[in-house]
Amino acid sequence: MSIGLRELRRKPLRFGAAGAALVLLTVLLLLLGGLLDGLYLGSTGALRAQQADLITYSADAKKSLIRSRIDEAERRQVEAVPGVEQVDGLGVALLGANVPGQSDVASAAVIGYQGGVRGVPDPPAPGRAYADRRLEAAGVEVGQTLLLGPQREPLEVVGWVDDTSYLLQGGLWVEPGTWRSILASARPDATLADGTFQALAVTTAPGADPAQVAAAIDGATGGATTTVTRDDAIAALPGLREQSSTFTSIIAVTLLVAGLVVALFFALLTLERTGLYGVFKAIGASTGQIFSGVVAQAVVLGALSFLFGAGAAWLLSLPIPAAVPLQLEPNRVVVTGVALVAMAVAGSVFSLRRVVKIDPASAIG
Amino acid sequence: MLLATSEIRRAKLRFSLLTGAVGLLVFLILFQQVLLGSLLQSFTGAIENQSAPVLVYGAEARKNVEGSIVTPDAIPAVQAVEGVATVVPLGEGTFTMEAGGTQVDTAVFGFTPGGPGEPTKVVAGRLPQAPGEAVAPREDTTKGFDIGQTVTSSAGGVPVTIVGLTEQSRFSVAPTLFTPFATYEQLRRAANPDARAVLPTLLAVDPAPGVDPAVLADRITAQVPGVEALDRARAVSEAPGVAAVQQSFSLILLLAFIVVTLIVGFFFLILTVQKASSLTLLRAVGAPAGYLVKALLQQIGVVVGGGLVVGVAFLFGAKAGAQAGLPLQVEPATVIATCATVIVFALLASSVAVVRVLRIDPFSVVTRQSLGGTG
Repeated sequence: MSIGLRELRRKPLRFGAAGAALVLLTVLLLLLGGLLDGLYLGSTGALRAQQADLITYSADAKKSLIRSRIDEAERRQVEAVPGVEQVDGLGVALLGANVPGQSDVASAAVIGYQGGVRGVPDPPAPGRAYADRRLEAAGVEVGQTLLLGPQREPLEVVGWVDDTSYLLQGGLWVEPGTWRSILASARPDATLADGTFQALAVTTAPGADPAQVAAAIDGATGGATTTVTRDDAIAALPGLREQSSTFTSIIAVTLLVAGLVVALFFALLTLERTGLYGVFKAIGASTGQIFSGVVAQAVVLGALSFLFGAGAAWLLSLPIPAAVPLQLEPNRVVVTGVALVAMAVAGSVFSLRRVVKIDPASAIG
Repeated sequence: MLLATSEIRRAKLRFSLLTGAVGLLVFLILFQQVLLGSLLQSFTGAIENQSAPVLVYGAEARKNVEGSIVTPDAIPAVQAVEGVATVVPLGEGTFTMEAGGTQVDTAVFGFTPGGPGEPTKVVAGRLPQAPGEAVAPREDTTKGFDIGQTVTSSAGGVPVTIVGLTEQSRFSVAPTLFTPFATYEQLRRAANPDARAVLPTLLAVDPAPGVDPAVLADRITAQVPGVEALDRARAVSEAPGVAAVQQSFSLILLLAFIVVTLIVGFFFLILTVQKASSLTLLRAVGAPAGYLVKALLQQIGVVVGGGLVVGVAFLFGAKAGAQAGLPLQVEPATVIATCATVIVFALLASSVAVVRVLRIDPFSVVTRQSLGGTG
């Protein structure tokens, strides 16, 4: 192993080609992973922040918040179900926000809520909102009055909240009356009567089984509702599943490419050194010793390439405009590093057969 | 050719595996490109294949059809712009419809029969003439959207009968109905009985004869407050998501091209290194370097050519198998361009092996012990 590492130290350029390829692949992996995380977190924040276990939609909405509507009578039916502890109304209006001093319209999600949202204080006074920090990139500041929708409805920002966006639109958290009036003004066809919400966030009582409560809710409303867990509600967001599977496949293919690059590189290296390894074996080195040197080289090569690649990805991410939902999460970085080193080791293992087959007698011709 | 082919004959498995690997990668590249084209068509086909050369969005919509709404005062204001011949409302919304016994997310466009905004690619049946009629994509006939079938909105039970089929006219990769605006309005009101009014999502504009749609769109945006007009091509290319999808696919394609290059390059390099002794011997007995390089290039030609044949064959197989789902459109130009790029990349990749062959020193035969030299 020590010979392998010494070679790496003395002749680092010999590993330049494979190292450069792995650095590039690391950049690609981290940027892809960052995009996937950014898209997921930016789309799901408003639902992830709900303290409730269950979300109740109208049955004809196919779990779409925008298409769902639950009136007061249905809400009372839900509240009466055994195992239901708390019910909060929830609604969203996706629209453009005119920010003072900015020429571009910001993408906003005005979210009407009654409480029960992690990291968001109780609803502010009518006409005021807590804004998600995502909107900071669009020039929004606390104290500003935004003008929303085609009718330019005013809304004053009174504070920041974090990680509460919906479908990549910055969340503006308002009390239900403000949400209803903005919705009616921006989309007259989506106007909802007082007391009607798009969905209900249902908190179950301690010890109650959420799945059973969900079934009981839908039974109590006579099938007029579809109640799902918060995770199912997140998974039902439009395009989220497809997005996730597409990016995960690209990441998997990229990792395979990394393994392939390492495999081909070490195959070539081993081939070039058949004679040398023959000499090693002739003077008593075992296949295990030679091979552990190859694996050690792969680990160091993978780890160093990853570090350089991670640095490059971070530098590249700095000038990327805020509109691109790139988010480099520590978890993602660690997992990518481990996966890359693992693929490098897996790639180097392909040389094992060749190392085993080397005949010590070849050292003497 | 003798040297190249006899080696291939002796190592059939090795060359077949490489040809297969290249073939699979070529298929992956072609399939992704075809999929990209089909996906984009399914995202924006309804906009591309409707008759209005200019579409007017609400300014806050950020060119997003689903986020757009046009206020009633905009219609006379747009009509008053010089160069506008006709302005009609165009509605768009996603509804849950009961089709073929299941709930299906369905995009519905409400247009004015005889006016701008009509679907232009009706391939069977006829255009809707009365409320309650619609045309549906041919791709979705198996989902309960065939001519003569009636689909019903889950909210309010509004029936819509399919009277014709379109092609390349889907929106947001969902079954897409084109129905008279009155039916669209009915669906909207059924979905939300509290609705105060149903406003147009967009305005469909016909320019006066001789007026350029792009120029007219800019003029409307400049003269009418609260709207943004786009000609049809821009409405398609600047739709949110289109650029993102294109960029994602470009990245995957780039990756696939890199993989082909790496595989071909490394394979022939390994092969050359393995044969270094034999090649040196051949050089020593008088074989010119050009002869060996020619043999190498011939082998690359056979592997890449075979890979292209395999890849294209797989593509047509996939096209035949994909008829029921997302229909794949194979453009000959895409296939030719991809094949040419793969050939160029493969040649570039093999240049390292070629250089290695050219650097072989015939004299080393007398110094290399493994070749019988004196060391």
